[in-house]
Amino acid sequence: MSNKRKMYIWAYAFISAPILGFLLFAMIPICFSVYVSFTKYSGYHAPELTGADNYVRLLAHDPLFWKTLKNTIYSALSIPFGMMLSLAIAIALNQKIVGIRLFRTAFFLPTISSVVAMTLLWKWIFNADYGLLNIFLGWFGITGPAWLSSEAWAMPAMILQGIWSGLGFNMVLYLAALQGVPRSLYEAAEIDGAGGWQRFVKVTIPCISPTTLYILITSIIGAMQDFPRFQIMTEGGPNYSTTTIVYYLFQNAFRYMEMGYASAMAWMLGILLMTITLLNFWLSRRWVHYE
Amino acid sequence: MNQWTKRAGALAALTVLISGTAACGSSSNNNGGNSNAAANAGNTSATTNDTSTSNSSNTTNNANTSANQPAAEPVKIRFAGWGDPSEKEVFTKLIKSFEEKNPNIKVEYLHIPDDYVGKMNTILAGGDAPDVFYVPDGDFGRWVSQDLLQPIDEYLSTSNIDTSDMWESSLLRYRYDGAVTGKGNLYALPKDIGPTVLYYNKDIFTKMGVPFPSAENPMTFDQLLETAQKLTVKNGDKVTQYGMGPIWWEGFVLGNGGQFLSEDKKEFLLNSKEASDALQFAVDLAHKYNVVPDSRALKAMNDGQMFETGKLAMMIQGRWMVPTYRKLKFDWDVAPLPTNGKWAGWSGSVGLGIYSKSKQKDAAYKLVEYLGGPEGQKEQSLMGFAIPSFKSMASTDVFLQPGQKPEHAEVFIKAAQNEIPGPWTNLPNAKWWDMLNQNLGPMWEAKKPAADLLNELKPKIDAAIKEGNPAIFK
Repeated sequence: MSNKRKMYIWAYAFISAPILGFLLFAMIPICFSVYVSFTKYSGYHAPELTGADNYVRLLAHDPLFWKTLKNTIYSALSIPFGMMLSLAIAIALNQKIVGIRLFRTAFFLPTISSVVAMTLLWKWIFNADYGLLNIFLGWFGITGPAWLSSEAWAMPAMILQGIWSGLGFNMVLYLAALQGVPRSLYEAAEIDGAGGWQRFVKVTIPCISPTTLYILITSIIGAMQDFPRFQIMTEGGPNYSTTTIVYYLFQNAFRYMEMGYASAMAWMLGILLMTITLLNFWLSRRWVHYE
Repeated sequence: MNQWTKRAGALAALTVLISGTAACGSSSNNNGGNSNAAANAGNTSATTNDTSTSNSSNTTNNANTSANQPAAEPVKIRFAGWGDPSEKEVFTKLIKSFEEKNPNIKVEYLHIPDDYVGKMNTILAGGDAPDVFYVPDGDFGRWVSQDLLQPIDEYLSTSNIDTSDMWESSLLRYRYDGAVTGKGNLYALPKDIGPTVLYYNKDIFTKMGVPFPSAENPMTFDQLLETAQKLTVKNGDKVTQYGMGPIWWEGFVLGNGGQFLSEDKKEFLLNSKEASDALQFAVDLAHKYNVVPDSRALKAMNDGQMFETGKLAMMIQGRWMVPTYRKLKFDWDVAPLPTNGKWAGWSGSVGLGIYSKSKQKDAAYKLVEYLGGPEGQKEQSLMGFAIPSFKSMASTDVFLQPGQKPEHAEVFIKAAQNEIPGPWTNLPNAKWWDMLNQNLGPMWEAKKPAADLLNELKPKIDAAIKEGNPAIFK
């Protein structure tokens, strides 16, 4: 008994480190940011309480907040396309073909490369006159736009790049899920006379649905918080067409030194994300199957 | 084995715990905005070998005079700046000779090569900033309006720096009266001033039989267009050589007698005829006359690369490009910025500021005085990237550097006399400026006339000025 108690003490000692770390480096700053969001705070001096001013300004007087929110949701369009594409690639890479390891590595490579390097690479791909994309379109007689300097095309370009950069990671997750689908289910389906497409829809999709949910939730959170690649590729322009909400938040906090306003923005985003995630979980009961 | 693992684990957990608490102590200080305490803590750790220093300097802070202070005890100050390796080398050398002249002051040089302003913002928010640091003129307003800089007028009055020998505009931009920059107390000494001028490739001019621009009188806009047209070479539809580089439009606005903001800084004036005409001219150079590469062409190769590879005959640049361009294979020179009238344009600058919470202000000022004074200025000028802060020194060989390009180095001197700080230095909060640049796109793409766009923008930008700078509306 005393030995057992001793073990519990050890166990608590071990988990105390991450818990304490979480309290100090996550919980306290989070609580502090709630407070700051109700103040005027430059970061250099003590915050001054201003009530709900920041929230009023955000919701009622700052058209840029709404614009950047819209941009962010627009950029999240990359999620469904990216998920479909990564599933397709995962299925292809789940076949027994020659050089499969090479292909798997190639598709995973963007995930382990630096965001900055990849973004700079894409800046060249999107180059209006010499970029690979427009050269490629040129083969079909299409004159490509000046992707990153056009208000209409800058975001689609960023979506394209977003799909590409998320592909590798999602593909690996799907690949693992596909390999976890029991063979017996396929065999049973085959005996019952199910064709290839039916097996995919009735067996594969339900079996990998937990992975789909995981990817969906993490991708949404990732997309809502995305901004380094926007900063590098377009600096939010032209005319704020690629300023995402977190980029705008960052500018308010570190360029205009309005930490209070930026914190209020962070909380609005946090609440929105929480709602979407809860909604996702709730809806998932209808389509996610756990074995 | 099992026992051993458990012990090691407990030890690790304990270490994390302890370091966690330590970090908590300092982080909660920062968060609470109680930066004084943090600054104190930092300072004592910086001078642990001599605790009495902080006491003695506390009293000198208020006295503000270093003359009657027996500066016998060693003092350690910290100095932050950025710059390429050559600048770092010069500053390391300058600091060494400063320490030799002031044996009781030790300087710790913190070189921040990348994202200087971002990192300084964090350091300043932490409340334990270096005693002396670079203050880019564009960030001066933000920092001074947050009481992060020490006024230096009193120090200056007792030192041997002759401010009347310095460029007016280099001092003006580091003044602040509590609401706007450009007047009031002085908060930084210029480290350098970099006027903007017109650089041109002499080889291209000679080859195409075009006379060189005058070094005395600025070209008018019409003359610029005419010259650029002569220097532009087309192969079918594709331009293979551009006459003129991208327009740094701020200088054109000033050159046409336009203004960015009203005198009291409360109102946006770029929609005036002088300013919008200048902008429209800049757009037309690219889109109507095709003598300037447009954004599409520039995405392929930027203007600097174009100039360096001989695909661009003239371009606007600052003094800071001289060391780079001295390595170019072709012959080049400089001329005044094109204007419709007298010399005009903007110059860039970086200042040397003293942290308002520094415990070693006297020593800090000594360093500022040395780097911003004759000796420091001489060393920096010899590198070629800046012109000295002192007019008298600018007309000596230290700056003119005969035998080295450019031939007409005096263009920089006259430019420094006539050019004013850039519009980004005008207000503490930069949102109006960001908003303007974000919205100029349709104009640069020639989809909307400059005058229409600027008139539309005026109310939005006026609102951004008001929102970001409440102090000037009080």
